[in-house]
Amino acid sequence: MEGLGYLLALPRFEYFSPKTLEEAWSLLERYGREAELLAGGTDLLVAMKKGKKSPRYLIGIKSLSELDFIEYDGELLRIGALATLQSVADASVVQERFGLLATACRKVGTPQVRNMGTLVGNICNAGPSQDTVPSLLVLGAKVKAVSSKGYRLIPLESFFRGPFETVLEDGEMVTEVQIPTPPPHSAGRYRWMTKRTTVDETLVGVAVLVVADPTYERCEDARIALCSVAPTPFRAKRAEALLRGKGIDEGLLEEVGRTAAEETRPRGRAEYRKLLTSLLVRKALTEAWKSLKGQEVVS
Amino acid sequence: MKRLISLTVNGETHEVVVEPRTTLLEVLRDSLGLTGAKEGCSLGNCGACTVLLDGRPVLSCLLLAVEAQGKEIVTIEGLAEGSKLHPLQEAFVEHGAVQCGFCIPGMILSAKALLDENPHPTEEEVKEAISGNLCRCTGYSNAVRAILAAAKAKEEGKR
Repeated sequence: MEGLGYLLALPRFEYFSPKTLEEAWSLLERYGREAELLAGGTDLLVAMKKGKKSPRYLIGIKSLSELDFIEYDGELLRIGALATLQSVADASVVQERFGLLATACRKVGTPQVRNMGTLVGNICNAGPSQDTVPSLLVLGAKVKAVSSKGYRLIPLESFFRGPFETVLEDGEMVTEVQIPTPPPHSAGRYRWMTKRTTVDETLVGVAVLVVADPTYERCEDARIALCSVAPTPFRAKRAEALLRGKGIDEGLLEEVGRTAAEETRPRGRAEYRKLLTSLLVRKALTEAWKSLKGQEVVS
Repeated sequence: MKRLISLTVNGETHEVVVEPRTTLLEVLRDSLGLTGAKEGCSLGNCGACTVLLDGRPVLSCLLLAVEAQGKEIVTIEGLAEGSKLHPLQEAFVEHGAVQCGFCIPGMILSAKALLDENPHPTEEEVKEAISGNLCRCTGYSNAVRAILAAAKAKEEGKR
């Protein structure tokens, strides 16, 4: 009787729930491309219900409780593969020191999706509009990919091969994402505009991180990352370069916004997305810079 | 391959036979006869299938039943005590927050999770908490009023 009368049922698959990481790798190695890892399921099971994916084997990793962590040692923030988007958004260390990541996690989906979906899953889904990725890109995040052969740390910048495609090899799984503490005198923001749909998917997402010189007069360094405006999220490096070493004023911000827009390669609604990109880049940079100047006043 | 699993729903333990692909929503409705959780979009967008898993609202249409083992599951049927409605249910009735009713079980469970964690929410917090429960009758205002009233009633009841 199951499946009866449902709009959408899942296709059949074989399910494994490994009890150790080693067991998970060996399953991944054995089944290769026919297997998918299942964490929160909010992307994978939807893709399966829509018929876009039909893995023969699902490897559920929820029992691997050693992957459910958010740890900070004063330098590096490490977030395990089972940490949900909500738990990341709620973690006080994330709110206090990595505010733009907390903001981005809160933007994803709905409360229910955030209670189920994981940050690492959001990264690994590798969609062009993954909200958490721009913030992680400007923060200089790396993912730890582990297999039976050992592990490698992959800078997030080189993690995406194309839409919904990563550089992960067969038998590799991401166990955590590592994020260095932002430099002193820095501030970040994540800002976005959405489509008007059931879950308000991001139309343009912009993360910025600006670093001021110790006198807060010039911008020493700046990073700008965008999502939903190219096949993968990316850093707008030409726009970033314009800010380095400069005092920030309206004219410069306009040029930076325009340059960032030129670096985009939107597929649909291109003109609109480019316009939004330039506006959001200016907005995010203005807010971040103002908050830095505010720190100068109070300190 | 079918397997026997054990689920704790509204405080009671049930043994059910499922396939790996069986969702929690399908078990609740078909095997346990708990039809409060609804299949709306079936893709995790609408929130009609919302249940509480260890106190947090989740989408039962995107949760494999095999992965719900060992968790405390609460559905809308678990809120009333006998014929006495839960204060949130009472508030929804009183404020005319129910129109067609399809979204209401999920919305009330989202509201319950909110009030359990944050007994004095602001209107904004209430709206955020039910932002994953779409109401096609667009009856949000009365629902928000009902949830705020339930929070207030609970506070007054304590005094």
